[in-house]
Amino acid sequence: MKSIIKKNNYSVQPKVSSFHIEPPESIKEKPDREVWKAFDNGDELAFNLIYRSHVKRMYHYGSQITKDTELIKDCIQNIFISLRRKRGALGEVECIRAYLFKILTREILKNLKADKVSEIRFEEIKDQFFPISICPESIMIQREKEMANKELVREALGQLTSRQRQAILLLYEEGMSYKEVADTMGFNEVKTARKIVYRAMASLKEILVGQEIKPKE
Amino acid sequence: MRYKDFELVDFLADEFFILWVKNPDKNTQHFWEKWLIEHPEKREIVLKAISIIRGVSYKEGEHLTDSAYIDIFENILSADKEKGKYGRGFLNSDKNNNIKNIAAILIFGFCAWMGYYHTFLYSEPAPVSNKTFVIKRSTPLGSRSLITLADSSKVHLNSSSEISYPSDLATSNRWVELKGEGFFEIKKNGKPFTVLIGGTKIEVMGTSFNVKVEENKLSVALMTGKVMVKDQKGNQVSLYPDEMLVMEKSGDLYKSDFDTLKVTGWKDNVLVFDSDNFENCRKKIEAWYGVEIILKGEIRKSWVYSGTYINESLENVMRGVNFTSGLNYKIENRKVELFN
Repeated sequence: MKSIIKKNNYSVQPKVSSFHIEPPESIKEKPDREVWKAFDNGDELAFNLIYRSHVKRMYHYGSQITKDTELIKDCIQNIFISLRRKRGALGEVECIRAYLFKILTREILKNLKADKVSEIRFEEIKDQFFPISICPESIMIQREKEMANKELVREALGQLTSRQRQAILLLYEEGMSYKEVADTMGFNEVKTARKIVYRAMASLKEILVGQEIKPKE
Repeated sequence: MRYKDFELVDFLADEFFILWVKNPDKNTQHFWEKWLIEHPEKREIVLKAISIIRGVSYKEGEHLTDSAYIDIFENILSADKEKGKYGRGFLNSDKNNNIKNIAAILIFGFCAWMGYYHTFLYSEPAPVSNKTFVIKRSTPLGSRSLITLADSSKVHLNSSSEISYPSDLATSNRWVELKGEGFFEIKKNGKPFTVLIGGTKIEVMGTSFNVKVEENKLSVALMTGKVMVKDQKGNQVSLYPDEMLVMEKSGDLYKSDFDTLKVTGWKDNVLVFDSDNFENCRKKIEAWYGVEIILKGEIRKSWVYSGTYINESLENVMRGVNFTSGLNYKIENRKVELFN
């Protein structure tokens, strides 16, 4: 029952330029693996499709790691340049978005590390990755002390690790499957992704269930 | 565990449940709607889980602008061209003729467009040692280009300018030798970056600045970051943002502020005239459009011209000149004749 057949979501983005010709339906319907293969074989249309379907989300995703927007743009650009150069020798890709997110994260981190003076400083900024928000109204609709609790929600969310936040966001906000979350985050096993999310949710349980929360002394 | 035994946290971490909440399709809808009817006691907890899943979002985040979306796309394709390896697969691509045709149109249109802006003269690198060699890039009169170096630094090269840099720039020596005019956007990577102009060095870490080499002077205009200029005589000058350093051939140095548009507008295809006399206008137009201007008529000595042109045609610029000077013009074979 749990086998999930997920359609790949090639959302059509607004036409921004005349050189972006709408790809024919036939290629849009294809699963990621085939689109990727076509790209590997040098099909420019496949490249076009990959670019238009993913680049905006990549940028938004990258901005969860760094505020240096020029850096994000450069990383995206370099990723595609290097992928294009490696055409003919690219490996198989099941989920293009997960793959692109993964290499984008790697590229950004590489640059951030090169940029930062000390490792300690890097560890510090790493904790800031993937800021998350939960609309407080979704948690406690009928609560009276809502304002006080908003603070608590924020605090609880802040206690999640950046990897927990990343996994939750990929799952909820990006709508990825656990397999894709695992691919994006570089886990060998899908269950690692499942565990991370479960633990994060369990640690938020008190707030989520809406029991009275005692503020910390 | 079965769904009827699920607690809130279990729902929150369940893939099939999340899928229904986020991207409902026939499968999930069919299942969950039925399931809820059978388990009314779970209704409250399910609604709660739904509102939490929907309530989670990125706290902030940037959105790619359309112009950046296009820029990146263009840079990616032009990088192919730099490598001399164009759309490898598409020529020997497969069965689908339709796709091939569209791709051809796409690429042809793109090439034509790129050709207009980015006509590089790519000269074969000259071997220096076994591994490292020097790469030369130049632009002919009338065209400008953007070059991305291996360390992701960028160089905008103005008309009839040239840069040389080592092939291992990303990994060891970060230096570029410049002739003409260039706008540099240098990426920080822990190692210094040097721009060489004859015996003068500009040393930077990560900055953006404009360098213009003329016959008898060198100007360095700093936009962001910090640079250090060292000349052969041992002079050292630090520059801060919005400062411009001019070094005369005579050895005189002076600092001033500068008009960003006038100095760096060219990299964004903005041609600026600012009370320029005829000689200056002629030089600017000739370099910008790669044409020769031949003055066959008379023009009053006091004539000066101001104007800002963004991506404009030669025709439009000449129309402006014509309007203020009264000179007529004729454009033919990269020559512009001016007459009364």
